[in-house]
Amino acid sequence: MTHAASTDDGYADLGSHDTFLNGPPHKTFARLRREDPMHWSDWSGGKGYWSVTRHADILELNRQADMLSSARGIRMEDQSYEEYLARRTFQETDAPEHMETRMKAAKAFSKPVIAQFEGVIRDLCGPILDEAFAKGTFDATKDIARQLPMRMLGRIVGLPDEDLPWLVEKGDSLIANTDPDFTDHVLDKMTTDEFRMMPFNSPAGADLFVYAKDLMRKKAEAGDTSGVLHLILQPGLDGSVMPEHEFRNFFCLLVAAGNDTTRYSIAAGIHALAHQPELLTQLQSGQVWDTMADEIIRWATPTSYFRRTATRDFDYHGKRVREGDKVLYWFISGNRDETAMEDPFTVNFARAQNRHMSFGQGGPHVCLGMWLARLEVRVLFEELAKRLRTIEPAGPHKYLRSNFIGGIKELPVTVTVK
Amino acid sequence: MKVTWKLADGREITAEVRDGLNMMEAAVANNVPRVIGECGGSLSCATCHVYVDDTWADKVGQPDRFEDGMLDVAEAERKPTSRLSCQIKAGPALDGLVLHVPEP
Repeated sequence: MTHAASTDDGYADLGSHDTFLNGPPHKTFARLRREDPMHWSDWSGGKGYWSVTRHADILELNRQADMLSSARGIRMEDQSYEEYLARRTFQETDAPEHMETRMKAAKAFSKPVIAQFEGVIRDLCGPILDEAFAKGTFDATKDIARQLPMRMLGRIVGLPDEDLPWLVEKGDSLIANTDPDFTDHVLDKMTTDEFRMMPFNSPAGADLFVYAKDLMRKKAEAGDTSGVLHLILQPGLDGSVMPEHEFRNFFCLLVAAGNDTTRYSIAAGIHALAHQPELLTQLQSGQVWDTMADEIIRWATPTSYFRRTATRDFDYHGKRVREGDKVLYWFISGNRDETAMEDPFTVNFARAQNRHMSFGQGGPHVCLGMWLARLEVRVLFEELAKRLRTIEPAGPHKYLRSNFIGGIKELPVTVTVK
Repeated sequence: MKVTWKLADGREITAEVRDGLNMMEAAVANNVPRVIGECGGSLSCATCHVYVDDTWADKVGQPDRFEDGMLDVAEAERKPTSRLSCQIKAGPALDGLVLHVPEP
């Protein structure tokens, strides 16, 4: 499969965003899984880090949240304690604090609640696809993959439609803060520290803070209690209410997380269809709707890694990890682990028992929005399969410049419809 | 200890489970359908929801407050005997345990 071939030499610098401009360096991950499953790297951007690359190891460590904490940052970047406190979301907390927030938010994202949105998603998909397909040749990331998740977030959170393009733009400059196409403040090329207290070290975070505060004020004035934001502001079991700065960070997380990960899953799915015509046939057989979404999300692995920090010294695969060391779980590698799944470099929409780890499965921080992501992906591809006759690449695609978020940011395709 | 999972379609799966394992791990190891455990037993997903058989409910006991909160977001209907199986640990006191796997 030509489109899956990696161009790295097996010794890529995983700490470099540029490494990922040609897609994930799978030869490097394969070598690490084979030869050095607990791998230390020095890093030009700060303190060095450990890479965990085997599926079984990620599962084993991910659940040991007392030994490997989320509460000192979840990306490679080093943060001072002050920065961490100002910028953290509930992703960057441990139990029991994490559980308090999670229980509030989980009510809005539970499988039964999300299932009720199927019709809404379908109604959004139709016009998005029809508009894109009418062009014949178009950028599938921009015109399809980017559209659905943000419009859907608007519905779940209760945001006015006219605000959505602005929010997408801000979300992009947060999460893609290492790609000059998405932000003027490229993280690893910043010459200022004026944004260090803001989410993702980005001034877009400040804009979203203001927006969130305004939104809640307007909702309160109108007596509007719909949506997830209202739910998470209710007092928890211990009677405490989420403080304002934490709420605003949570809002930024919703905008960023609800935005890019589903987008890049959809893009990876369309990319696969464009390169392997038999996949469209597989979809149109109607036999794979129960399994295809997880396979697309495995294939995409939009979040390449999450970082944890060791709370004590421990030994792993013959290496001594020290308290305070950064440990990275490379989900993108676990999802291609030959010992954990059959033919991991093949897209198989019928893949059963798909123990992929794109949602961070196996640990307390498993993706809150996973049911929504799966539903959006399935419904979008159902609607796409109804309409599509052929799809092929219309030029080279481009990857995001990020070792953290993996995605195809430009995906020119040509389609014919039924 | 021995555990039996009763599925909604009438099938039963019985397995020997090592002390200290939890019932989610045991179910996954024995390919019990619909007990998934997406969060690895961290009380973050509610995908290992089961009904404890009435005859075992007292011995297994009640959920703590975090489990109680997460049971509210499980896919299948919540019942008085609902538990997240990751919070039930295997041990001699539960030998013979019977769990019912919910249909959505």
